[in-house]
Amino acid sequence: MTSRAFTVAVGTIAAITLSACGTKENPGRKASVVAAGSASSAAGDVALPAMLNRDASWLPPDAGDGDWLMPSRDYGGTRYSPLAEITTGNADRLALAWTFDDGESHYGHEMTPLVANNTMYIVSPFPNRAYAIDLTEPGGALKWKYDPNPAPIAIGKACCDAVLRGAALYDGKLIYNLLDDHTIALDANTGKELWRTKMANVEDGTTMTMAPLVVDGKVYVGNSGGEMGVAGWLAALDVNTGKELWRAYSVGPDSMARIGDDFKPFYSWLKGKDLGATTWPANAWKHGAGAPWGWVTYDPERHWIYYGTSNTGPWNADQRPGLNLWTSGVFARKADDGMAQWAFVFTPHNEWDYDGVNENILVDLPINGTTRKVMVQFNRNGFAYTIDRLTGEVLVAKPFGHENWASGIDMKTGMPIVVPEKHTVPPGRWVRDICPADIGVKDFEPSAFSPRTGLFYVSVQNICMDYKGNVASYIAGTPYWGAQMTRHVGPGGNYGEFIAFDAAKGEQVWGIPEPFLTYSGALVTAGDVAFYGTVDGWFRAVDARTGKILWSRKLGSGIISAPMSYRGPDGHQYIAIATGVGGGAMTTSSQKGFPPRGSTYYVFTLAQNIPAVAPSAESGQGGGPKKQGGKP
Amino acid sequence: MTCKAHVAWAALACAASLLVACQRKEQDLRGGAAAGAPLRQPQVNTSVMDTTGLPPEGALARVAIGDLAGIGNNTLDADVRSPYAGDLAAIKEGQDLFVSMNCAACHSYDLKGGMGPDLTDTYWRYGGAPADIYKSIFEGRPQGMPAWGRALPQAMIWRIVAYIESKGGAFPGALADKARQGDLADQDTTSGSTLKGRNNVR
Repeated sequence: MTSRAFTVAVGTIAAITLSACGTKENPGRKASVVAAGSASSAAGDVALPAMLNRDASWLPPDAGDGDWLMPSRDYGGTRYSPLAEITTGNADRLALAWTFDDGESHYGHEMTPLVANNTMYIVSPFPNRAYAIDLTEPGGALKWKYDPNPAPIAIGKACCDAVLRGAALYDGKLIYNLLDDHTIALDANTGKELWRTKMANVEDGTTMTMAPLVVDGKVYVGNSGGEMGVAGWLAALDVNTGKELWRAYSVGPDSMARIGDDFKPFYSWLKGKDLGATTWPANAWKHGAGAPWGWVTYDPERHWIYYGTSNTGPWNADQRPGLNLWTSGVFARKADDGMAQWAFVFTPHNEWDYDGVNENILVDLPINGTTRKVMVQFNRNGFAYTIDRLTGEVLVAKPFGHENWASGIDMKTGMPIVVPEKHTVPPGRWVRDICPADIGVKDFEPSAFSPRTGLFYVSVQNICMDYKGNVASYIAGTPYWGAQMTRHVGPGGNYGEFIAFDAAKGEQVWGIPEPFLTYSGALVTAGDVAFYGTVDGWFRAVDARTGKILWSRKLGSGIISAPMSYRGPDGHQYIAIATGVGGGAMTTSSQKGFPPRGSTYYVFTLAQNIPAVAPSAESGQGGGPKKQGGKP
Repeated sequence: MTCKAHVAWAALACAASLLVACQRKEQDLRGGAAAGAPLRQPQVNTSVMDTTGLPPEGALARVAIGDLAGIGNNTLDADVRSPYAGDLAAIKEGQDLFVSMNCAACHSYDLKGGMGPDLTDTYWRYGGAPADIYKSIFEGRPQGMPAWGRALPQAMIWRIVAYIESKGGAFPGALADKARQGDLADQDTTSGSTLKGRNNVR
């Protein structure tokens, strides 16, 4: 397709979408769009200079500004790229540079490609193959591939598709989890397996789908299986040997939860001995879930890690009266020994499957005139929490999408104020129109934060459910679930929306409604361009300050992964994204026009950076230029 | 190998004259005794001494299904009739088991699939005749299906089979061979099962 045809198509889409924005009956939003738009006229306007100048301790070792060594790029989880060749002024000239296909179209692609040393690293969904692609070769030549051969039984133990959310590069190693509960490290240069550690027994219903975090020689990994009656845990492994150093459970007595004298939760209802066991009926915590299958972030100033815990098991809350700590919450732990420093629970006695696993982005925001060190989580339950990351105090908690199950958050306790008719207990009856549905106003798909705009960029889901609790029996290796549901689109009829959100105020700044679910992660760059994708396969670049769509391209399948940006060997900025719909997005698969699955990775750059060379077989590469220029 | 296969393998070289040769060769093979290379059969020496120490082969083959549940008749013919097919009381009991044994959590309450496959769409990875479905439940399958033969007697497993059949995706035992070859489009499958899911627009 020519770039001219592109522009026409993009223009049409943009017009439609923008007019849809304008019809939204939300004067506040319209006003703030105007305000943000006028701000963009001040070129180079930086909202948070201190955050822009965070030191190298917020990045993995040896990460250059053109590298991307971990799914969120930095330990704070911002997914902000300092590259600025692609700008709001030229993003409409983005063009396809090359593609790669991992062949695993059976399962959803939720991962983010990594780049270091002019090499791109990709890990596939089950069977979790790894690929290293040499970016100095035309079209990206395969340098090595590795097949770890995980056990196929894992496919049927994964609740929500046999997905994998990515890998981490650290000290010349590529580290990731296999669906069958093994963490492995490969030599990033050769693809040779260096170690493999068994973390759990897959036959019991435990799987692993999250991307590890690697800091100071330790690999942090957690389990999946919140629908299978597991007990959630996060473990630290030695990066050189794979040896397990400690494991902290999300449920059970303090000894299992690694809670000691230095544990200082902010709220009184979170204080006490062995609450991970005593807030449950006898022994129910053993199958109470709280699996940390999402993201881990790290504050190098405090040396603490932050991660959320999954839904409470079983979903039928009638079987587990009590607060059910520490599921559906978040832990702050010392990175060294894993001892908990504070915890918070977003949805105590969770009756709706609102997991707490979404990314906790660590930023310093001005709140009521004072800069506070906070973590921001866009929770499944529909509230965006801005929490003091040193104390666990909730500073701001406001809806960031459509929810009707709680009328708000009680700021004295941090607890949700549940709308009585949305309780799913007692079970055995249908409760109609609970918003959001189980997959939340946002699922695991990670948001981005720009220190230049001070805003978060978030994929929002507008989906509701009818829900009926059922009695669940625990049978090892089968679901411990106890719920039936049907899902439907929320008010307005648009399943998705991509928004910019001010987490200091708890306000949306702009939003782009999408007819299909927005289930992709976000990327924002120093060129003030934000990127996201839709479940029907549109990949878009938007002005990070105004929300104006600058460029769109329809890709081969739906997008549920997260985009990244790197500097190629030619010195130019590239954007990479995986396609392959699946995972929780399949909850909307009956929507007319829902795309087939796929497994293709797309890499874009500005059109002028793609050498115009006639196709030729003489290079031995099947056409294209011999080199893309720059460093070999 | 057929002539068509030859053409596919050597597309560039296979000229018209070679096609003629191909056709003649195919005729030769059909004729059997005519000129040309005879169809080669695998040579297997079946007189090899059995030193495995295992029971005779026939005995081993009979262990697979039903034995652990203590049933005397522990083999199944591929075309066996589902004992409770169409029995409304048994189907209801099968439905209750389908929920209480957590089958519904994987295959969904409407059997349309979730963690596990859709059981109504007539697409069966391991076969959709009653004996196949029974075997899948009894022995489990490699992509996560647990083996229920250790926990449930055959009378309960057959009730679950009857419930699955009642949802329309299964094949009657008498059509097992045809189903294996995908030849059910014009079959009357109303005796015990239907194919109502087959033409679903999805």
